[in-house]
This record gives sequence, C-alpha cells and structure tokens, in this order.
Amino acid sequence: MPYNRPSSNRQGPRGTSSQRGAAGQVRKKRTCRFCDNKEDYVDYKAEKKLQRFVSEQGRIIPKRITGTCAKHQRMLVTAIKRARHLALLPYVSDAVK
Amino acid sequence: MPDAKRVYETTFIVNASLDDHQIDAVIEKVKDLIVKNGGEIRELVKWGRKRFTYTIKKKNNGFYVVIEFGAGGDIVAKLERHYFLDDSILRYLTLVLDKRALKARTAAALLAAEQPVAEAKPEEVAKPAPVAEAPPTPAAPVTTTTV
Ligand SMILES: [Zn+2]
Repeated sequence: MPYNRPSSNRQGPRGTSSQRGAAGQVRKKRTCRFCDNKEDYVDYKAEKKLQRFVSEQGRIIPKRITGTCAKHQRMLVTAIKRARHLALLPYVSDAVK
Repeated sequence: MPDAKRVYETTFIVNASLDDHQIDAVIEKVKDLIVKNGGEIRELVKWGRKRFTYTIKKKNNGFYVVIEFGAGGDIVAKLERHYFLDDSILRYLTLVLDKRALKARTAAALLAAEQPVAEAKPEEVAKPAPVAEAPPTPAAPVTTTTV
C-alpha cells in the first residue's frame, strides 16, 4: 500500500489540558516571548504590549501560564507596575465592579 | 563628582483640562529646570492627551510628556520637587536609563528607521490636540464608551 493511514495516537493523554495564554489562545509549547524576540528591555510605555501579560481584571499573569522566563518576568513586572503608576494600565479593571 | 552624568527618562502627566498654551508653559518650566541645572535634553516627546485607565484627581485623561535627558544625579530631586509642587502635574516618573535600556532604545530606533510603520509611535511634534473643541471644563470625558 502506498498510503499509510495517519496514526491517531499523536495526541497524548496529557494533551487535553490546554494552556490558556493571555489572550485566551492555546499554546502547546510555552516559550518566553522576550527571549524569542531577543528583547532585553521591557518598556513601560508600550502598554499595548504589556496588556498581553495582564489578566482581564488587570492582574499580572504568572509566568507559568505565559511561559515568560524568570529574568524577563521580573523586567515585565516592574514595567507593568510603572505603567500602572502612570495610569497606562489599571491596578484593578473596571470590569471587576 | 564631576561628570557623573547619566541618562534619565522622565514621564509626567499634565492636567489636560488646561489649554494648549498653558500645557506648553508647564512643559517649558520643566525643560528650563533641567537645562538650568546643567542637564541636556536629548529627546522630548509629547504623547498628547491620553485616557487614564483609572481616575487621577477625578480626571479621566491627561497630557503625557516624556523627556529623555542627560544630567548629574542632583537634578532628579529638584525635578521631583518641582513636579510635587506644580499642581497641574498629576503624575510623574523619573528613571535612570541603564545600559540595557539604552541599547534597547537605539535598537528600536534603528528598527523604526528601517520600517517606518513598525509601531503606532506617538507623534514627536506638538500637534494640535484632538480634544481641542472641549473648553477647559474639568472632568469631561471625551469618550464615554471605552471601558
Ligand atoms: Zn526570556
């Protein structure tokens, strides 16, 4: 037979629990976005970028979910806190009312 | 002590219910203070009026200004004292730009030069603000639909 049926055992039993990212997308392998992009500084002024690492309620998403490495998570956290101080990001979102 | 110069970045928010001339005067005062204390302004960016994510002094928006300057360390205390005393400045943040930040900055500048439409960069020049039709009525939210 020239054609082999694709084996269906590709998805393992552990593949069921999907990791939800900041925007709700499913990521299989979590990698640090800052390492991927070779960024070595997280700017507090780029609030659009930072929003991805903040939950809808405005809380900082832990690195175990976003996949950010420890070094970049530390930088990210200070950037988010600076952005909050300047009202670029919320401390608590209105949505939590 | 001499020539222990560093690069600082200071961001402050001016009360947006002032008119453009008054805002310019506030910015001018800050610039003066930096220059008079031996600082050298490297870059001044006016983001313009921007909505807050939470209210500051019962206001929903403010005029953001970012200044990058080189100076000795004693300037920061003076600057922050000025911010504190100026009632039309709602918030401020002054940082030292370390090597890493400076490197990232030049890299970003190079990238922006290569592809001009890389990111929604705030206007560099003082453009007549979009909320010009609103007279100085305090706490008048321009957009009410945003969450
Ligand atoms: Zn990383």
